[in-house]
Amino acid sequence: MTKKHSVLLKKEKCEGCTNCVKGCPTKAIRVHQGKAWIKEDLCIDCAECIRACEYHAKYTKTSQMEKIMKSDYPVLLIPPSFYSQFSANISAQKIKMAIQNLGFKAVYDVADAAAALSRRTIDFLNNNSGSYISTSCPVIVRLIKLQFPDLIEMLIPLKSPVELIAERIERKYKEEKNIAPEIFFLTPCPAKLTTVKRAIGQESSFLSGAIGVENIYQNIYESLSDINLDQKEEEMINLATIWGSEGGEESILKSWQDINTLSVSGIKEVKKLLNEIERNNIPEAIRYFELTSCVDGCIGGVLNVINPFQAQFNLEKRIKNIRKTIKKENLKLNKKGNEAYNFVLPEKIKADNVSKLDKDFKKAMEKLEQLQKEIEDLPGLDCAACGAPDCKTFAEDIVNGLANKSDCIFMLRNRISELAGDLCNLSNELPPVMDNDKEEKYEC
Amino acid sequence: MSLQKQQILNKEIESFNFQSGGEASSDLKNILRKLGVPSQIVRKTAIITYELEMNVVIHSLGGEITASISEDELEISVDDSGPGIEDLDKAFTAGYSTASEEIREMGFGAGMGLVNVKRYADQIEVESSKENGTHVKVIIKLAD
Repeated sequence: MTKKHSVLLKKEKCEGCTNCVKGCPTKAIRVHQGKAWIKEDLCIDCAECIRACEYHAKYTKTSQMEKIMKSDYPVLLIPPSFYSQFSANISAQKIKMAIQNLGFKAVYDVADAAAALSRRTIDFLNNNSGSYISTSCPVIVRLIKLQFPDLIEMLIPLKSPVELIAERIERKYKEEKNIAPEIFFLTPCPAKLTTVKRAIGQESSFLSGAIGVENIYQNIYESLSDINLDQKEEEMINLATIWGSEGGEESILKSWQDINTLSVSGIKEVKKLLNEIERNNIPEAIRYFELTSCVDGCIGGVLNVINPFQAQFNLEKRIKNIRKTIKKENLKLNKKGNEAYNFVLPEKIKADNVSKLDKDFKKAMEKLEQLQKEIEDLPGLDCAACGAPDCKTFAEDIVNGLANKSDCIFMLRNRISELAGDLCNLSNELPPVMDNDKEEKYEC
Repeated sequence: MSLQKQQILNKEIESFNFQSGGEASSDLKNILRKLGVPSQIVRKTAIITYELEMNVVIHSLGGEITASISEDELEISVDDSGPGIEDLDKAFTAGYSTASEEIREMGFGAGMGLVNVKRYADQIEVESSKENGTHVKVIIKLAD
């Protein structure tokens, strides 16, 4: 069981197929002894394995309601994407009341911090040259730390909206009420949960925990039926709720200032883009990249309940309603509120140096040579029957002493056929007392 | 004096094959990471290799790229079989390009290829003739 991460394996459900192994963007999974095994230092909590598993053996362990309710002062943060889980006919106000009625002391919209961060991002881009990458999706940050360490400098050194609002609430309660609330996040993905345990660019997270949308959705739905609002319901939430889907961050940025941005969603596509950025094959004129690991952005999060297509439709409708009720001025109000946040990440984001074959250059060279030889020997079919995603990764496992050549079914077959040949030849060797001409020989 | 270098990459580059153009750059990048080369040097190498590789794809009849490494430096050699660079001085001028309209429409041929290579490389040697094609040798220092 992994401790650092939020994606876990139900051993009894794992059939030992290699669907997750093949689908993992960081090649972090192997099947050994019939069960999937996640290499902790390579996992970035993207949840692609949860999507790939047909046996539902991968899961996320988020906080449970019972446990949260034992807290003295539970507060819940709602991400923009959560509003995509309901028809736009149900107002955000109503949804928030339903959540609060479950026992939370207060609920807050992460969208408020998102709007403020967006404003701060514009300031940052105006005061710094170069191109920057959003740090809002923790999977993307971890992917860059792991596989694109030379692009770390492009990560904008500002906190994510969730951390921003959590920090603000913590301070506010302390100053105004001398209360230390326990702040929970209603998460659409396992990655945000991991940031509670291992914060990015700061010593620790301001969150106490996170609860998956799937773990609370039913309760909220039931609670909704008890709420009757008399007045005409208007959509009184921040326009930055649009951050819930791909292109949302970009569109809010552009509402402040005309700026060249690019948004890409889906981890495979993001990897392609980062490769192109790495070799300078993307226009320098693009100042900001909104990158999300899930296709369609956070509404595509694996812990959501509603399918992403319906979610997209719901969110778009809600955004339309917001635009109807509040005019652009409301968004501008947040400009004034910006001093309430500490935007800058206190620590530098560091690379995860795990791809080295050896600390010592000479030894690494020897291993590289061995690796290239192993790759040549292997069939190159990438069948994954050895438990590794492809022949190259398997070769690396061999070199690192994590796998045996005979784990490859084709190498094993070759070895058996050699042995069979030897056995046959041996069986034709007759003892000297027997007549060589009379005894029938085997064809080998 | 540089130490004995060992070859770590040898790849053929096909003329006008944009599908596989960029593979040598990616392969070399992965190899350098495995060897523990600092990330900023890996980035430089990725940029240089990609430029050189695409030059072969766009301008030549095909060629070959090799990379060799020692503890203190990395050498990248690219050899193509012609038609050669007509004016080497101009090729090192920012914005100068002989690329066709079609190539430019694909986003290449901005005339920054060799200029960028020179910017990131610690040493560069270019030999070119109509008969023998173009040979580029680039040195990237790994240690002082």
